[in-house]
Amino acid sequence: MTHDPAAGPGAWLAVVLPLAVAVPYLAGWAVLRRRGTAWPRTRLLAAAGGLAVAAVALSPPVTARTGEFSGHVAQHLALVMLAPLLLACSAPVTLALRTLPRRPRRGLLRVLHSAPVRILTAPVVVVPLELGSLAALYLTPLFGLLHSSPFLHLLVHGHMVLTGCLVSWLLAGVDPIPRRVSTPARAGVLVLLAAGHGVLAKLLYASPPVTLGAADEVRAGAQLLSYGGDVIEVLLAVAVMAEWYRRTGRRLRAEQRRAGRAVLDVPT
Amino acid sequence: MPPPVERPARTGRSLLTGVLVGVGVAGFVDETVFHQLLHWHHFYDRGTSAAGLVSDGFFHAFSWTAVVVGLFLLADLHRRQATVPVRVWAGGLVGAGAFQLYDGLVQHKVFGLHQIRYGVDLLPYDLAWDVAGALLLLAGLVLLRRPARPLAAPPW
Repeated sequence: MTHDPAAGPGAWLAVVLPLAVAVPYLAGWAVLRRRGTAWPRTRLLAAAGGLAVAAVALSPPVTARTGEFSGHVAQHLALVMLAPLLLACSAPVTLALRTLPRRPRRGLLRVLHSAPVRILTAPVVVVPLELGSLAALYLTPLFGLLHSSPFLHLLVHGHMVLTGCLVSWLLAGVDPIPRRVSTPARAGVLVLLAAGHGVLAKLLYASPPVTLGAADEVRAGAQLLSYGGDVIEVLLAVAVMAEWYRRTGRRLRAEQRRAGRAVLDVPT
Repeated sequence: MPPPVERPARTGRSLLTGVLVGVGVAGFVDETVFHQLLHWHHFYDRGTSAAGLVSDGFFHAFSWTAVVVGLFLLADLHRRQATVPVRVWAGGLVGAGAFQLYDGLVQHKVFGLHQIRYGVDLLPYDLAWDVAGALLLLAGLVLLRRPARPLAAPPW
């Protein structure tokens, strides 16, 4: 089974998609700079890294190899897992809320607090959505149908990328989401997703579906999905805990300052 | 000079930290040594049951996340100067031993997830695996009976 590259997104996506994020991000950063407000350089680096990963994953040399299942998995790991994680760490929503003019800012806030976003960011929705999408793509004939329709191809891949963004956004916890999800809950979501990911990889390895390609190719891809998924799981865990460590650190320093002041305030 | 802030030792948190790191390290050793270096374990074994696949997926994911969470919790304990080392060690041994026993008894035997090694008499391997797990667990439980003394100063 060969995956006709012409049926997939064209090379233009590799340029247009990263630019569509980079331009507004840099514009927001420029606004902050003019105001003299600090914006962590790590976030700028995370944005650059995420967009570079996305551009490479969409570039013709990579898309040409997605005909083989392991090539498809490599692209999936980069585009649906790694790039969204880096972008979520770059806090694009926070940047937008700080720098947009009043009216679009109010619009963005309305969207963030709207019922669909509230529902979509709930862990009980995110976990089945992500695992269900993966199962639907790999364990049903859907994957085979993608070659016949460029539109379906774009739709399904777009859906996977957006779902990946949703997961990363929820887990990284840098940007505000409608209802705060506690750190233990986010770690639990990560374990469930990673477990589902691992089980799916083993299932593909145990009985390679013919729709995905030759059995040996699918086995190689399934192992890549398993090990690559592990690496990204660790990165996600670091993202979850780093946010917690910074947040509790701020609270700890505030407590120490208060304690210091309380002692100084004691009348002599 | 700011006066020292009251630093209550975090006994329970130290224990939890140890358990998480212990489970994570046991999972890491299993994956690195037996899967990747020795190639004794197999990625997948035809004898694996569905419950085995789910259990393996869950514990594999849990151990990776646990080691990261545990290390961040340890860093937090240290910056609060609230670490109780004896509890961290006890938790670590209990976590590693319990994971090893679960892996050896439930995953390998009950669920038929891959065996320790293929093409050999399994009994000595299984015994060594489970006795090692039981000893780790026992050492952790013995350590738990020691009084919880907090770290006087951070280790740096």
